[in-house]
Amino acid sequence: MVGTSLCKWTISYFAAAIAWLLLAEGLMVAGFGFPNHDIGDPDTLVIVHMVSIGWLSTVLCGALFQFVPVLVARPLYAERWTLPALALLTLGLVVLLAGFLTLGGHLDGPRWLLPGGGGLLIAGFALVVANLGMTLWSARPLPAPARFVAGGLACLCVTAAFGGLFSLVLSGTATGAQWPDLLVSGVSIHALAGLGGWLTFTAMGVSYRLLAMFMLAHDGDARLGRLALRAGIAAIAVGLVGGALALWRMTGLNLALLLAGAAALLSFAAYGRDVLGLYRTRKRRVLELNTRMSLVGLASLVAAAILSVAFVATGSFSSHVGALVFLVAFGWLTGLVLANLYKIVPFLTWLETYGPVMGRVPTPRVQDLVAERRALKWFVVFFAGSWAATLMLLIEAPLGFRAAVAAMMLATLGLSEKFTRARRLADVAEPMRLPTGAAMPHLLVSRN
Amino acid sequence: MTAFIDVDVRPILRAGGEPFSIIMAALERLEPGEGLRLYAPFKPVPLFDVMASKGFAYREAELEGGEWEIRFLPYDGSVEAAEPASAASSNGDWPEPVVHLDNRELDPPEPMVRILAALEQLAPGQTLFALLGREPVFLFRELERRGHQWRGGFTPQKDGYQLTVRVPA
Repeated sequence: MVGTSLCKWTISYFAAAIAWLLLAEGLMVAGFGFPNHDIGDPDTLVIVHMVSIGWLSTVLCGALFQFVPVLVARPLYAERWTLPALALLTLGLVVLLAGFLTLGGHLDGPRWLLPGGGGLLIAGFALVVANLGMTLWSARPLPAPARFVAGGLACLCVTAAFGGLFSLVLSGTATGAQWPDLLVSGVSIHALAGLGGWLTFTAMGVSYRLLAMFMLAHDGDARLGRLALRAGIAAIAVGLVGGALALWRMTGLNLALLLAGAAALLSFAAYGRDVLGLYRTRKRRVLELNTRMSLVGLASLVAAAILSVAFVATGSFSSHVGALVFLVAFGWLTGLVLANLYKIVPFLTWLETYGPVMGRVPTPRVQDLVAERRALKWFVVFFAGSWAATLMLLIEAPLGFRAAVAAMMLATLGLSEKFTRARRLADVAEPMRLPTGAAMPHLLVSRN
Repeated sequence: MTAFIDVDVRPILRAGGEPFSIIMAALERLEPGEGLRLYAPFKPVPLFDVMASKGFAYREAELEGGEWEIRFLPYDGSVEAAEPASAASSNGDWPEPVVHLDNRELDPPEPMVRILAALEQLAPGQTLFALLGREPVFLFRELERRGHQWRGGFTPQKDGYQLTVRVPA
């Protein structure tokens, strides 16, 4: 029964992540990378890593530093490691991207850029995993949502390990030359562990608690999430062990991925059933915008799962994998994250500003820090844009894709302005905005 | 005087055993108004929250050799009846709560706001009791800043959280 305090740098993680998202969207609008270039082209890799590391991993790490202590009711193991981790991740990504740009002929950089960036990123992620891992370790036995996070962290380690090996191969170093075939079959493991294991699995676990909290649904049942967790772990284990075996034997990769995919589908189905159950037993009738938009994001995951099955059945999976990855990264993960930031940022700001004076003077509610009606249109534009962009990829219309991403970028800018307004308390009515004893929060750092 | 059932967990712990179930079993056997006297080789701090959530206050006394005698007393008023003012300096006998809040149906962070607002109305030394839907992790930080003491724990059915807060005297 130890309290939780505000993580000072969570807001900084969010800000850095949004900057990467905007940059990636801008590059896609400009026609950089896929689908104008091949899916494995260095230019595409620039965008992919900007989105997966710069945006999604950074925002998730920032959120976990705040959320894991809430989940397990223990303080974060080492708050002082969070800022160095952000610095390592950001610097590592910049160096890695410079490496990809060199590989693509845009820059005349040295060969060590890729392994150098990879090394910095591994160091940054190691700090994150150690910090969150020690926090989880102190709270055993873990509640179900925290087990998802633990599984996600394990996948992050696998993703980073493969990424580090690739950087050695791609940079043409002597060490990397020992595994010339690693890229051929290792890429799918790297991508699945990252997108499926780390990002999706962790987001699922976190959303169990967040959805239950914001829908006022009871999530105390120990069985809740059990099937989704077990099937998900089976999917990850089959994918990784099978994938590694296939890599070694140079055959059977497709079988391993198919089995892992089936287990993943079962996990998603169980997760969908659980969320539906929480929705049905909720005590809060009218849902807030963040919850409604999280459910829209979930619909993208369902759509991606159905499309995957359909493409596998018709034998056209490999030609549509780009569109599917886009739908998972933006329709599902980015949509879910933006929806939850719309609650988390105002909540943290509210706690920081009004916590010290609460009960002593009238204070606004958390919902007074936001104007849902004005934010709704940006969410609509964002989700419509992400689905339109996926469609444009499926029908191979690059110009249409760029237009749709432009709409998403506009929506991201609109929502960023809303987050900034929440930090600035811009939507709080005047008499209650800054009562005596309350201090205006900083935009990018929390007082704790 | 309160009647006590004695439970000595020292031999169990020395033998490497697990005393929690034995304490809980002894608790089941208590008659209304009866207390539990526990002998332990260390101060069983985690147990205090568990017992508080079951409606027991405690008094502690250190024995020789670092061992402890803990007396758990039911919260039903027999605490005061058994030993009036004499034990007031011990932190085991909080007065009956003057405010009861049921915050289970409230949207977070409304439970926290209500508790902090209600605490501002209490006189020094008075206590407040609240039922919550989940553990109020962000509230503890604010209670600590304001110098309040608290005891809390999940309900036996795990479907809620019980919290008692005392305003500093």
